[in-house]
Amino acid sequence: MSEKLRTIIVEDEELARNLMKSFLAENENIELIAECENGFEGVKQINELKPDLVFLDIQMPKITGFEMLELLEHKPQIIFATAYDQYALKAFDYNAADYLLKPYSKDRLEEAVQKVVDRIQKEGKESDVAERVSDFPREEYLDRVVVKDRHKIHIAPVDAVRYIESMDDYVMIYTTEGRWMKQKTMKYFENALNPKNFIRIHRSYIVKVDEIAEIQQYEKESYIVILHDKTKLKVSKTGYKNLKGVLNF
Amino acid sequence: MDYRHPFIKNPRLSISYGVSWVVASMLLVLIATFVNNMAFGLAMKEIFTFMMLFALIGAAIWYVIKFSTLEDNSIFRIALAHLFAASIIVFIWLYTGVVVIKLVHPNAQFWLEQTLVNRLMMGYGLYIINVIFFYAVNYYYAFKEKSRNEVKLKGLVKEAELHALKSQINPHFLFNSLNSISSLTMTDPAKAQEMVINLSQLMRYSLKHDQSEKVTLQQELENNKLYLSIEKVRFGSKLNPVFAVEENCLKAEIPNMILQPLYENAIKYGVYEATETVDVITHVRCSENVLEVTISNTYDKNVVSKKGEGIGLRNIRDRLQVIYANPHLLKIENKQNEFTVTLTIPQKVK
Repeated sequence: MSEKLRTIIVEDEELARNLMKSFLAENENIELIAECENGFEGVKQINELKPDLVFLDIQMPKITGFEMLELLEHKPQIIFATAYDQYALKAFDYNAADYLLKPYSKDRLEEAVQKVVDRIQKEGKESDVAERVSDFPREEYLDRVVVKDRHKIHIAPVDAVRYIESMDDYVMIYTTEGRWMKQKTMKYFENALNPKNFIRIHRSYIVKVDEIAEIQQYEKESYIVILHDKTKLKVSKTGYKNLKGVLNF
Repeated sequence: MDYRHPFIKNPRLSISYGVSWVVASMLLVLIATFVNNMAFGLAMKEIFTFMMLFALIGAAIWYVIKFSTLEDNSIFRIALAHLFAASIIVFIWLYTGVVVIKLVHPNAQFWLEQTLVNRLMMGYGLYIINVIFFYAVNYYYAFKEKSRNEVKLKGLVKEAELHALKSQINPHFLFNSLNSISSLTMTDPAKAQEMVINLSQLMRYSLKHDQSEKVTLQQELENNKLYLSIEKVRFGSKLNPVFAVEENCLKAEIPNMILQPLYENAIKYGVYEATETVDVITHVRCSENVLEVTISNTYDKNVVSKKGEGIGLRNIRDRLQVIYANPHLLKIENKQNEFTVTLTIPQKVK
């Protein structure tokens, strides 16, 4: 391969970064362009520098590697490097190129790089990591929502989410701390939020059960939900059935 | 302490108690009829009245022995208590006995004059028998309670050992530490060696089945400093352990491996989620009869999801409860951005 892979390391531990750097130093396929200590920095650098390949730790401060992936506008090839083996399946869901278990050998790292080289030759540089994510129902429900808003990244515990409204390709997430936009589908949130606490009441709305103050009949056969702060949201027929199912009336 | 009467706790015991009294009374009746040539009917009335009454009233002796246990009181005090209690019980017994006898005995007045002194002696004798019986019961219960506690404690110590081992072979700690060592072998072999040695020492401490389940504070702190030094290599300046320990506390006793879960939590919720330096502060104070260990760390409230009391904290609480019979020795404060755990360890006064 004539062109080198422009590479970023996202890893919170300095020693782990040093090891990876020294392993990669002699690899002729790699050109290291940045190192990041956490997911926030990772998002910034990846969106800015648009690397071909990212080495990504999973357990990091503030946001996890998986959460970081969801915030990316640019989609590089991903090689996970982590001490945990239980995320391997999930990483596969995210269409990662490889999954390195710490501590790993230099040979194993080179093998992973080779996989990326082969993959890019076959499929081109753009990977589809972040898109894959949303289609996969998770094995466990979200406990926080991470949103990128221009230059800031917001983290809100799921408890702070009041309701979600769909807006074409985006959703607007209304939380107790403000409203944020995220590029996700309603279907994704319907699967990712615990259905005991969040109900899909309409094609355009998912609402938190605790926020509902009243359910009013609006016309014959049609209803609206009134929240504690007087916001009114439309309820569809299926939505009304969902409400009935969860609230038992 | 459990002051419930053993007859309420254990109805079978009260049945055996009743049966013994009936059998003893029967024997006395037989002796009275065949040796002393008393009329059988009269002997029945007389002996059963007094014996059954004593069986009933004497059951209260339990409370006397419960409040004058052999372990915690001087012999003089015990003797005084019993003399006092015996006199009251014997008086009540004699008085009610006489009332009943007057109803059933054909020649009550004469009988009374003849036997009152003997009756008095008999009363004190029966009191002594009952006292011995209840001391035996009390001793048996205390023994059973103690062995039950011992079994429970053994289980909890095992659990703590297991927890310590598990947390050392959990990927977060072990594989990340090994990865750090792997890195250090290239850049700083001396440091890599030091880390291997620390890791080994730490694991040996947890593997060692220490028969004495209490250690000195010094030993316990040293072990935890090993743990922190390993984590320090990984987290660098993000982890800043601070120790403020009064010198004279180092000899104090503390259940072994009781602190590690606290440091683990501080690292897991404080250091791991932080991007800035986190101080993990250990503050130890002690007085004649109590050792107080406080471990606190700051954390980012927005990131950490509250997930109740983990297995580590629960084990600490249970062990302190079993060893010191006090449920208030572990105190958890969760203020704003600071998490503080305080352990209060009672010391034996020498």
